[in-house]
Order: sequence, then C-alpha cells, then structure tokens
Amino acid sequence: MNSTAQELHPAPVLEPGRTILELRGLEKKYPGTHALKPVDLAFKAGEIHAVVGENGAGKSTLIKLLTGVISRTSGEVLWEGEPVALATPHEAMALGINAVHQEMVLCRHLTVAGNMFLGEESVSYGLLQKRKMIRDAQKILDDLGFDLPAHVGLGDLTIGQQQLIAAARATVRGTKFLIFDEPTAYLTRKEADQLFTLIRRLKGEGVTIVYISHRMEEVFELADRVSVLRDGTLVGTRNIAETSDAELVRMMINRSIEQIYHKEQFEPGAAILETKNLSGKGFEDVSMAVRAGEIVGLYGLIGAGRSEFVTTVYGRNRKSAGTVLWQGKEVAVNSEHDAIRLGMALAPESRRDQGLCLNLPVSLNLNLPIYKRISKSLLISHTQEKAQADRQIAGLRIKTPTRNVLASSLSGGNQQKIVIGKWLNHGAKLFIFDEPTVGVDVGTKAEIYRLFSTLLAGGAGIILISSYLPEVYELSDRLHVFRAGRLVASHGFRAATHEDVLTQAIG
Amino acid sequence: MSIETLPAEKPKRNYSVLFGLTLLLLLVALWIALSLATPSFASGINIANLLRQGSMIAILAVGQTFVIITGGIDLSVGAIVGFCTVIPALMINAGWPVWVAILATLLVGVGIGLFHGFGIVRMGLPPFIITLATLTSLRGIGLLMTNGNSISINNDAFQEFSRNSFLGVPNLFWMVILVGVPSYIFLHHSRWGRYLFSVGSNAEASRLSGVNVPRTIYMAYILSGLCAAFVGVLLASRIGIGNPTQAEGWELQAIASSVIGGTSLFGAIGSVHGPLLGAFILATINNGANLLNVNSFWQRVITGALIIIIVYFDGLRRRSSK
Repeated sequence: MNSTAQELHPAPVLEPGRTILELRGLEKKYPGTHALKPVDLAFKAGEIHAVVGENGAGKSTLIKLLTGVISRTSGEVLWEGEPVALATPHEAMALGINAVHQEMVLCRHLTVAGNMFLGEESVSYGLLQKRKMIRDAQKILDDLGFDLPAHVGLGDLTIGQQQLIAAARATVRGTKFLIFDEPTAYLTRKEADQLFTLIRRLKGEGVTIVYISHRMEEVFELADRVSVLRDGTLVGTRNIAETSDAELVRMMINRSIEQIYHKEQFEPGAAILETKNLSGKGFEDVSMAVRAGEIVGLYGLIGAGRSEFVTTVYGRNRKSAGTVLWQGKEVAVNSEHDAIRLGMALAPESRRDQGLCLNLPVSLNLNLPIYKRISKSLLISHTQEKAQADRQIAGLRIKTPTRNVLASSLSGGNQQKIVIGKWLNHGAKLFIFDEPTVGVDVGTKAEIYRLFSTLLAGGAGIILISSYLPEVYELSDRLHVFRAGRLVASHGFRAATHEDVLTQAIG
Repeated sequence: MSIETLPAEKPKRNYSVLFGLTLLLLLVALWIALSLATPSFASGINIANLLRQGSMIAILAVGQTFVIITGGIDLSVGAIVGFCTVIPALMINAGWPVWVAILATLLVGVGIGLFHGFGIVRMGLPPFIITLATLTSLRGIGLLMTNGNSISINNDAFQEFSRNSFLGVPNLFWMVILVGVPSYIFLHHSRWGRYLFSVGSNAEASRLSGVNVPRTIYMAYILSGLCAAFVGVLLASRIGIGNPTQAEGWELQAIASSVIGGTSLFGAIGSVHGPLLGAFILATINNGANLLNVNSFWQRVITGALIIIIVYFDGLRRRSSK
C-alpha cells in the first residue's frame, strides 16, 4: 500500500454562511446529573463560533457529543442537512469533525513529523519514509508560519509549541469542523498569535471553527459569533459585534464584571519575606519584598523565571547566590520542609503534575500537609481528618459528592480549590499562588480572589504569579515584571498601563 | 470455579471493602467446592497444612504491597528469604541464643531494605533494577557462605515452633496475624500509611506538600525487607535447614498475591487485607489441586489464568465506578 500524506488542503466545504452542523434538542443525562439540557444551535460553514461558560456549564459534554466520544440521551444532530448518529470518534472524524484538546494526546517520544502523520504515515514497500514525512511536515509548518523544526522529538518542545503541533496535525486531516478546547491555556502570547493566524487561515479556507475559552479578549479577537452555556443550558447566541464583555459575563454567571476582580486595600504591615540579589537556576539577581496584607504580583511570559524564582524561595531548588530574609532574619531554606515550617505555602503551577494526588480521595489531598498535626502519637484521628476535610469542602464550596471521591473526578476549578484548601487547612504567613486560575471558570476565579482578601485580612502576604495580565494588574499592590530570568520593572497598584507592562515583559 | 460470585453491580463507595468481601467470598466458595469434591480437604490436618502453606507468602505479600503502593517493586524478597534461612542456621549452630539469631536476621532484612532505599533515592536507580541486582547477588553471597551446602539446624525447639499450634491454629498462621494487624494499623490508620499512598500517586505533589519523600521510600523497602527476613526465619524453622537457594520464585508469588488482592502496580492503590486473601486463594488452589491429583504443571496454568481473570474484573469495575 502506498499512501501519501495529505497536504494542507481541507476538503471542499459548503459555501460560507450555510448551516454545516445543526443541533436539535441535543441532550445528555448522566445518572444523577443533567449535563446538557436540550440545546438547539446551528453552526454556519466557515464561521468562528466561540462557546463560553463556567466549568461544569456543559462545554465538555457538548464537545464529547460532537466528537462521538459519548452518545447522546436524546435529540438530533444534522450534518449538512442529514441526520448523523455520531456514535464513535471514528464516525466524527470521517465526517471531518476534529478537536484539539487542552490536555493534548500526542506521543512525546516520536518526532514532530511522526506525530503529525501518526496513523497515516507515508509508506513505501512497508517501510516508513521518514525523510519524506519530515519534509512534508516541515513544509506544512513553514506554510503555517510556525517557526518549528519537524525532525526533533516532540518532547523537546515546550507545552505551548506542542499545542501548536496538535493544531497543525488537525489541519492535515481533511477537517471541515474543528473544535479548539481552551487552546491558549499554556501558550505564550507569541504562540497564541501563531495559533490565531492558523485559525484565521483555516476560516479563510472555509473550515468551521468552534473555539472554547475562558478568556474574553480572545473571544472578541477571533470569533464571529458566541454562544453562552450556563448549567447545561444554552443561554443565548450573539453576534460578536453586537455584544460586550459585560453582557457575556452576565449571561455566564449572572454577576457583573466589576465583582470578579475583588480587591480590598489593606494597610501593609512588616515585611514577611525579602530576597536580596537572589539567583538560582532560571533567574538571576532578584531583590523584592512581600509585606503582610499585600499582594505582590509577578508577571512575565512563560519561561521568564517567575516559577523558578518562587520554587527556589520555597526550597525546592537550591539558590546559587543571594540571601533570603524571613521576618527580618536571614534564613537558609534547604527544603520544602524548611519553607513550610517557616510559614510558606505554595500552590504550584500544574495541578496535575505538582498539585494533586489525582487518584486519591479529596480528603487525603486536603489533609496531606497536616497529617502530623492530626495524629495522636502514631495514629491519625479520623474524626479530625473528616472534620478538616469537610470544613474546607464547605468553606471553599468544593463541588464533590463526598470527601471520599477521587480528586480526578472533580472539575478543574474544584481541583484548584483542593490545592488551595490544603494550605488553608495548614495555615501560613506567606501564600504563593502560581497561576491559580488557569483553566478555572469565572465564578471560581471570583471566589479565589475573594479568598485572597480573607487571607490578607488575616495578616498574610501573597505572591501571585500569572501570565494573564488583567489578573495580576487588577489584584497586585506591587507588580514585578520578569523577563528572561530578571526582574526588569516594578509598579504600584495600577500605576502603569497594560501596554507598558506588556512591553517590559516582551522586551 | 466460581467467578460468578463477583457481583456485576458496581459499588459506588467503599470500593476496597467490597472488593475485599468479594475475595473473601471467592475463598469461601473455593473451600466449599473443594470440601464437596474431596473429603480429605476439610480435615483438620489439611486445613492446618493449608494455613501453613499460605502463611509465608501472605507475610511476603504484605511487605511487597507497601512497596508497590509507592509505585515501586521489590523483586528481591524470595532471595532475602533464602539468604535469611542461612543466618539463623549458622548462628544457632554456632551456639548463639535463638532470639539473638532471629534479631540479627531481622536486622539483616532492615539493612537490605536500607540498601534498596539508598539505591533508589541516592543513586536514582529504578526499583526494578536495584532489587533485581539484590535478587541475584544475595543468592550468590548465601552460596559463598555455605559453600553450596545445606546447613542442618541443631535445635529441636526452633523447629518445633513451626509445627506446633496454639489454640488449635498453627503457629505460622498466628505469625500472619502478628504481622497483619500492625501492618493494617500502619497502612490505614497512621500518617505514614497516607504518605505511602500519596508518594505512589504523585511524588512531586507530596514533596511540595511537605511529605518527606525519600524517607517514605526508605520506609517501604525496609518494611518489605523486614517481612522477608521474618519469613526467612519461619522457613528455616519449618524445613530445619539453612539453604540460600530456598524460596525460589517466591517474589513472584508475593507480587501475584498482592495483585490478586487489588493492589495496582501503578501505585497508590492497595490494602493489607487484599494481599492476605490473595495469598490464601493461591495456597487453596495449589492445595486443592494436589488433593484432586491435578497435574502440578496445570496448577501453574490455573494460577496464571486466575491472575488475569481477577485483575481484569477488578480493573473493569474500577473503571466503571468512576
């Protein structure tokens, strides 16, 4: 068999503006939950259709129904006017429906080219034509304007770059209908721009795009129309020109946008943490201070050294130079243990890799830092273990059937609440939040910001790391900008414009 | 045989307890079936024999489970057992009191566990590799110490212990309880048990939450080595000799018992009662097959098939209960 890799030519599509895919009363019930209440929605050929909503609003259910991963309870789906079953992922792909997921499923050990042609390799006499595939893949990447090599292993690329490869991969498969599920969650601004170029280009070629995101400005930048889901119901669909941030947020959460960035100013107290000329792996010569009652924001592109800086302060990695002062006294933090004992708490960047024991119960995750405290001599007090877990579940409104279910069964926002909850349980003087709202819905974001105020009121200090400028901008009493491992600028609360901060971060 | 006793309904909560009950049901069903099939099964002598046969693997399986929960594996336990028959044999024959010999043997088990922990934590070796190395070299060291001979133990009281019973229950089975109860408390009711699970689930998240990950790993391998050394003492008592080539392949039986008992080789899932039941299910099958004059080669095939069936059903229900 001699199959050749497809070029970047999506299959011929309907003339723009005609309905390509129509949902009629599409519904999904799980035992105990009504994940999607009957939805009527028509996607037009060649449009970019954004879908927004909080976590648990039914977006993932909708994607899974459209890509044939789960089967519907009732309703109809019409593809180009014909009813289709969409019973298997294979059927969806055969029609031309594809999805690029937030959690990418590619093979890290294969080359970029190998991944792009996975399942449809170029073969000659039963042997892989590796060089041809690398050439073809490179051509496609160059065509797309991605500055990425096709011959390297996928694992050598950053997460953001891998995401771009996943998007490029979807374009070589005769796709007519492409779903992006929060594609920019881990992308730098430059990578996001490259992705947007790709998306617009696909639109130009007549591909219908469904774009799912929590980031409003992306929706306004890209989409033609936007649909809002809330609690499994389609609240409405708007033309992008005829709506606003405020209206969409209201539709999503029944709450106004001013209420999201909840910010209270406190009189700053004594310095909790100071670093003087601190250097380590990935950052150099950083001097800064965090006082009681203030939020210190660290903004920068991914890889600018912010996470490396805080993990070094937290004792995960060794410093190479400089000093750390804790409440005015010089301290040596040689391990996470030392940091926790001093009174630091870190909610790390990646819930999945650093934050949670996913296949263990919610209760264990919430109690992990305090087992010593709730043990009497050798034995754990089960009453206390339960009480502490339930207290955080109630206090943070973590949506979980019981404290005994596995952390993996919760939605992203609720998982993040567990990561935060375990440190509230433990208590600390300095809370370090590294990207606390990635993949978290607007409602939960607002709850997390309110929580910051509670912590500050209790006399704690906060370091907030975010790649999402509005977040650090609106919340930080002091905003430090990182670039290439150095602290390049500092601003007071709202003291600089967004443009200035962005320019300093990009350099 | 009754795979049908596995209920098809998926339990929502207390999964581990239900799975344990299912295993217990399977064990009882096996016993009833064998009692009906052969009159010699239900005899007091045979039941005592069965308990003795299962006991040593059961203790090994408990130690092994601690390691597997952290996401590791301990291939060396069979070799430790063999090696640890030699130490009491040499020491008792040299005139040391029995309790000193036992204590020294247990310390050797702890030492081997420490070495494994060192290899994994400090040298960064995969658990499979470091324990595989111990597996081969320990047998070699034992053979060097004995010149390849078996050493008969000249102490009747020492050998009596494994043959005797207390309250009608064989002493060896009492040893399972002696190990099992503290192990259960340790794994399910102490913070160290929680740490074993959390390290097996996500070592980095545990570390960032203040869990001492290296210490937890050391602990798991030390406990496994300790259990194996203890079994070595029991085996020396039972067979009355010290011989480093004994207990060939017991590590695999221990792993099989643990897995049948619901332990996940990917870590973070396991219990103490599961491996105990698993070990006695395996012992029952071997015992029953002997009584029924089933070709011993077939016993191995049946054991293999059983591992596949039980783990398959376990995985199936785990997935569906999510």
